[in-house]
Amino acid sequence: MDLYELRDEFDRTGTLMCFNGPFYHSIIEEFGKAIRSYLTADNIAQEALMDVFAVYIELAQNIRNYHTLRGACGLEAASSIITIGRNGKGYKVSSGNVVLNSDLDALCGRVDGLNAMTGDELKSEYRRQRRREVPPEALGAGLGLLEIARRSSDDMTYVVRELDAGRKFFSLTVYL
Amino acid sequence: MLETIDIKATYASPAIRFEPQSKTLHIAGESYPENSFDFYAPVLKWLKAYLQQADELVLDIAVTYMNSSSTKCTFDIMDAMEDAFSRGVKTSIVWRYNRQNPRSYEMAEDFREEVTFPFEKEALN
Repeated sequence: MDLYELRDEFDRTGTLMCFNGPFYHSIIEEFGKAIRSYLTADNIAQEALMDVFAVYIELAQNIRNYHTLRGACGLEAASSIITIGRNGKGYKVSSGNVVLNSDLDALCGRVDGLNAMTGDELKSEYRRQRRREVPPEALGAGLGLLEIARRSSDDMTYVVRELDAGRKFFSLTVYL
Repeated sequence: MLETIDIKATYASPAIRFEPQSKTLHIAGESYPENSFDFYAPVLKWLKAYLQQADELVLDIAVTYMNSSSTKCTFDIMDAMEDAFSRGVKTSIVWRYNRQNPRSYEMAEDFREEVTFPFEKEALN
């Protein structure tokens, strides 16, 4: 297997690190450690390091929870991908995973809605959401994307790719 | 007598320990466990029972990073303390932030805005 093209694509897009595979908690934790060592060696400010790390954790745990929730639909085994890259003087974190068609509109709508909010609006929305009751079957508090939006320096971007009749591949990029 | 609480830290979850002499609940470490609700459920249960029979509780928290669902759980803990405070229990928080990381100070501010009982911020380093 010639990995040159894959490596070339990473270089071209400024990708520093990439994990592709199933997002088990232990893997999320270990790759998180790797991100912190790498960025510490990259002489990053503590604040920027924790922003990258926090966005990574929210994205990875969101995907993990989504796949657990939709496990019955055959998504549990689906591998996902996460990359950490350079973006000018800052960083970017991207994640890609399989999404059921029926969940896609809500997801895109959520990202669009958060992109349209000002910093103050995000803060009030965060406080509102934090006060909401979490449904018993929920694995998260519904705060992940909000937390990401509060830390990001620019609008989040996403790309949707058709996989088959019922599923899409959703790539989300966060700029820091 | 209410049982005390003593949870050891792991890489992704904080140590949680109650010290009866000082009536202080210590939470220290980072918090992004696999399932925050499962992790914090026994803490919240213990806290609510304790606050029913106690006259004082200090929450000493030194968590410099928590994921969003841990934030929600911490908020629930503070809600229980607020509720006890309104019944006359002496509740207070000492929040230790990392001076090198402005985000951890902002997080402390976010939480402070949510409560009416005493909330003190102290630098860890």
